[in-house]
Amino acid sequence: MNPEIALLHNYLIVGAVLFGLGAVGFLSRRNMIVMFLCAEMMLQGVSLSLVAFSRFHNDFGGQMLVVFIIAVAACEAAIALALVLMLVRRVGKLDVAVWQSLREDNQPEFEEEKVPEEPSEKPEAWPSLARAGLTAEVSPEKTDYRRKP
Amino acid sequence: MDTIKILLILIPALPLAATLLTAALGERVLRGRSHWPTVLAIGLSCLASLALVYQVHSGIDQARRETELAETHGEETASVGYEKVYSLWTWAAVEGAYQRPNETAWYDFHVDVTLRADPLTAIMLAMVTFVSLVVAIYSIGYMHDDPGYWRFFSYIPLFVFSMTMLVSVSNFVLLYVFWEAVGLCSYLLIGFWFQKPEAAAAGKKAFLVNRIGDFGFALGLFLLWTNYGTLNFHDVKVVEETVTVAGEEVTQTSVVPESAAVAEDAWVVGQQPGVLGQTILKSQRQLDRGEELAEGAPRYATGALATAICLLLMLGACGKSAQFPLHVWLPDAMEGPTPVSALIHAATMVTAGVYMVTRCLPLFVASEYAPQVVAAIGGFTALLAALIALTQTDLKRILAYSTISQLGYMFLGLGTVTLLSAAGAAAGMFHLFTHAFFKALLFLGAGSVMHAMGGVIDVRRFGGLRRLMPVTHWTFLFGCLALAGIFPFAGFWSKDLILVAVGEQAHQQAFGEQTRLLYSLLYIAGLFTAFLTAFYTFRAYLLTFHGEEQIPPEAGHHAHESPKSMTVPLVILAICSLGVGAFFELTGSFERFLEDAPSVAYLTAGAEEPVVEAAGTETGEHGVSHLGVAILSTVIALSGVALALLLYLGKRQWLQRLTQAMDAAMLYRLSHGKFFFDEIYMVFVVWPLRVIAWLSYLVDRVLIDGLVNLCGILPKWIGAALRPLQNGMLQFYALAMVLGLLVLIGTLLR
Repeated sequence: MNPEIALLHNYLIVGAVLFGLGAVGFLSRRNMIVMFLCAEMMLQGVSLSLVAFSRFHNDFGGQMLVVFIIAVAACEAAIALALVLMLVRRVGKLDVAVWQSLREDNQPEFEEEKVPEEPSEKPEAWPSLARAGLTAEVSPEKTDYRRKP
Repeated sequence: MDTIKILLILIPALPLAATLLTAALGERVLRGRSHWPTVLAIGLSCLASLALVYQVHSGIDQARRETELAETHGEETASVGYEKVYSLWTWAAVEGAYQRPNETAWYDFHVDVTLRADPLTAIMLAMVTFVSLVVAIYSIGYMHDDPGYWRFFSYIPLFVFSMTMLVSVSNFVLLYVFWEAVGLCSYLLIGFWFQKPEAAAAGKKAFLVNRIGDFGFALGLFLLWTNYGTLNFHDVKVVEETVTVAGEEVTQTSVVPESAAVAEDAWVVGQQPGVLGQTILKSQRQLDRGEELAEGAPRYATGALATAICLLLMLGACGKSAQFPLHVWLPDAMEGPTPVSALIHAATMVTAGVYMVTRCLPLFVASEYAPQVVAAIGGFTALLAALIALTQTDLKRILAYSTISQLGYMFLGLGTVTLLSAAGAAAGMFHLFTHAFFKALLFLGAGSVMHAMGGVIDVRRFGGLRRLMPVTHWTFLFGCLALAGIFPFAGFWSKDLILVAVGEQAHQQAFGEQTRLLYSLLYIAGLFTAFLTAFYTFRAYLLTFHGEEQIPPEAGHHAHESPKSMTVPLVILAICSLGVGAFFELTGSFERFLEDAPSVAYLTAGAEEPVVEAAGTETGEHGVSHLGVAILSTVIALSGVALALLLYLGKRQWLQRLTQAMDAAMLYRLSHGKFFFDEIYMVFVVWPLRVIAWLSYLVDRVLIDGLVNLCGILPKWIGAALRPLQNGMLQFYALAMVLGLLVLIGTLLR
């Protein structure tokens, strides 16, 4: 394989991985700031691909574009974070599921399912050894579990 | 303008004006004085009608003189009968409306509003307006204090307008329009007390039964139109022109042909001569004489086509004139106020069928079987209704059945008309004329009784009223004598003429064996009906005015003779029912006058001339003599009266036995149940129709409505299915976008 193409491949793979991670994060996380960061990550994945192609084709258009993207992303970050701040001020939560104004009328509201509680068990009491030379004092409570009821 | 034209316009216009005036002002302004416009308008109409009769009469005389003069000069100018036709305005004109099969030319459909004056119209107008006037005056007393007083007096002139137009228009379409208009008035007046469920139901029944007849009538008109290319009666009309004579402008009137084609005997398609017009009658008469006709000259259809037209027209007449099998509406129509029963359902509207058949007689004669069917229906109905009338207990219903029976007589008379004799037509019309007077009298008498008895009309619940109500009693007796056909009352003369005409046909050599048998049977039926008529008339009279004095509690303490406004019309009509028959019959003026109506003139002219060679026309020796029939029918009528006197006068012990004997033979129940026509129609007509209506309702509700509703519901369902996608969750939308993108990429890369 042409080493140029192999190099391009590596860059593209990293770009795609960045984009994929961003997409998955955007779709799965509900924290608005994290979602915003994930969106930025997707943007950077694309930017990386652009730079790589630009280098491969020896055309600086792509790199120009990336410079613009970085500038726009900076502005975007300022606006987006300000928006997030205002939304958080309204309800005091960062959760994006609180905002459902795009819903059709008469549709049931999104209700968060409660996460089932972790089954809490008594911490198992492990037998502890007495120091050497001393008679082991075994409290019946601690050894009871061995007995069959 | 021409005097006749002014009169012809005034006669219907005055009642129409009265209707509009009363309808507009009756409720607020006129109230108790609502009768004034009506009585005034109908009174003037009546005078105008009498003037019209005079004008037509003198017109006929003049025409006769001119004809004689022309004949001395050897000119052939004679027209068939006397008619004056005036076109007022064009009502409908469609050019090239219809193309006949096997012809290339297109026919125009052209309806002018045309009024005609001829003896038939003049007689009908005089009769209608006179009876209407008398009834309107009577209604002042009868309808007194009714909450619908003004409404009543706006319907009555509306009816008079429609009826006068019905008899004076000169076109089948207009005839149909006013045929329906009188039906509407009848409906409105039967259901005048619409709060009563029976009255509302009776109005509906009358309207629906009439629809059946009118449907036949309409089909008849379609057939006429497709065959003759016109629906006009006339093909000549009177026009006015201004000419300058010796320096002065003078208005002259002259009779001109309706269209150029008629004038020049050039038969251009699209301009057809009237169905009952001069041209077709003249050429048809030539044909009857056995002469050759010019190529394309108009003539009447013959064979099955003619019979079909006539039978369909007869169906219309059956509906309007309550003949079997459409007679069931008339007895129920008695739910209306009694003056209405007298005016519309006895004297005038129900005779419209008779008028129409008389007008169309040339068409009927052209058919081989139509006159016999008319006669058979008439004779059968007369007998049937008389049998039912025997046992009815409602005074007005007895009279209603007798009306049906007498109308049957009229059709029986008309049915005897052939090319050889028009005596039956004159007889039928004469009976119509006399019947109007004495039947209106009887109904108004019954109304007077009903008025005094507090609305009770069941003859079993009152009796012996002759001392209480002397005027009503005597006038009612006059009406009964006239209806029973006792010499010298009106019914005697006209009924005799019909029986003579039927008797002659029974011996008519020109007919085949079967036809003679038919007329013989009808003759016997007519005589038997005369007997029954005398019996049930006097039964009603004796039950009401004789026997023990009995007054129902509804009458209260004020059972009394009716006021002047009601008794004076009774007296007038009583004098008429005594006088008109003898006067017109003995002077012979009615028949001579009627003979000049074009439809009748065509037939009488045929009767005078030797017509068909093969047919033996001598009927004198074999036929029945006038005097013989007169004596026979008088004896029969008297025996009917005698039987009624025997049964109902005194202690009535024979009555019980006879009733029981009849009851045992089911005859009494059959008659009392009106031969169960209502029930039969209920099972065979009403129920099947209800089932069909119910099925149609289901189809409409389930299928049609279902399809329409489905169109509305389907988008709703689709929307409901898609709506949950819009759940407002940002990440769901993002996921949808990603998936969409994946699908897009997948498709592009494939």
